[in-house]
Amino acid sequence: MRTSEINKRPVVTMAGEDVAQIRDVIYSAGGGAVGGFTLSGRGLLAGPMKQALAWTSVAALGADAVMIRDEDALEPTQSVLDASASAGGSGGNVLGSQVLTDSGVDLGTVADVVIEVAGMTGGQCDVVGYEIEASEALGTKGTKLLIPLPDTLAASGEHLMVPASAKDFVAQDLAGFGASIDAFRAQLRETT
Amino acid sequence: MQWWSWLIVVVVVIALIAGGVLAVQARRRRGGVIVDPAGPAKTHRRGGRP
Repeated sequence: MRTSEINKRPVVTMAGEDVAQIRDVIYSAGGGAVGGFTLSGRGLLAGPMKQALAWTSVAALGADAVMIRDEDALEPTQSVLDASASAGGSGGNVLGSQVLTDSGVDLGTVADVVIEVAGMTGGQCDVVGYEIEASEALGTKGTKLLIPLPDTLAASGEHLMVPASAKDFVAQDLAGFGASIDAFRAQLRETT
Repeated sequence: MQWWSWLIVVVVVIALIAGGVLAVQARRRRGGVIVDPAGPAKTHRRGGRP
């Protein structure tokens, strides 16, 4: 699923209480996985909250709501951010960042991030791809394409690096993207 | 000025203030995808280092 589908999704306790809504997706530096979410309050005039939600505290990521056990699952935002940061992390919003291959070719800019949840509850939430606004290098400038990512990924700062072979596995839509990811990762394992 | 002119001015000012408040709120609540966070979340800067 795309992270834009999670933004603004309500956070609901098992008691049925609507306590927050998702604001940002926090993406761990080293592991290519989602570490948690920052939150904003419910209601038109509510702003960002001082509490955040670690992925380990999520009971279920449903189609219409993010379920948590109770309000105690929320933690101070800084501790959730720190848990996903590397030493001396550079930080930043991935959306709008430039995607470069390790051979220095600009593939485009990130329009969205694609994640995959392993299992219904308790599984890891992996970052498996980027939806990019393609550059000329992909031959379809301006169109939105899905590009797969390796299992682990160095992602920080202004540029996001991907292996050069990733451009051979781009997909047009999410339907065929799962197969592209598997083929891309299998090819990476063969070459290493 | 006629009384209805003042009424129009007041309505326009209220509409502008309400629109401004809603725009600021929408910006504060807009989400993103933060990678390798290095401090308080700053998601409104696109692709930059906070």
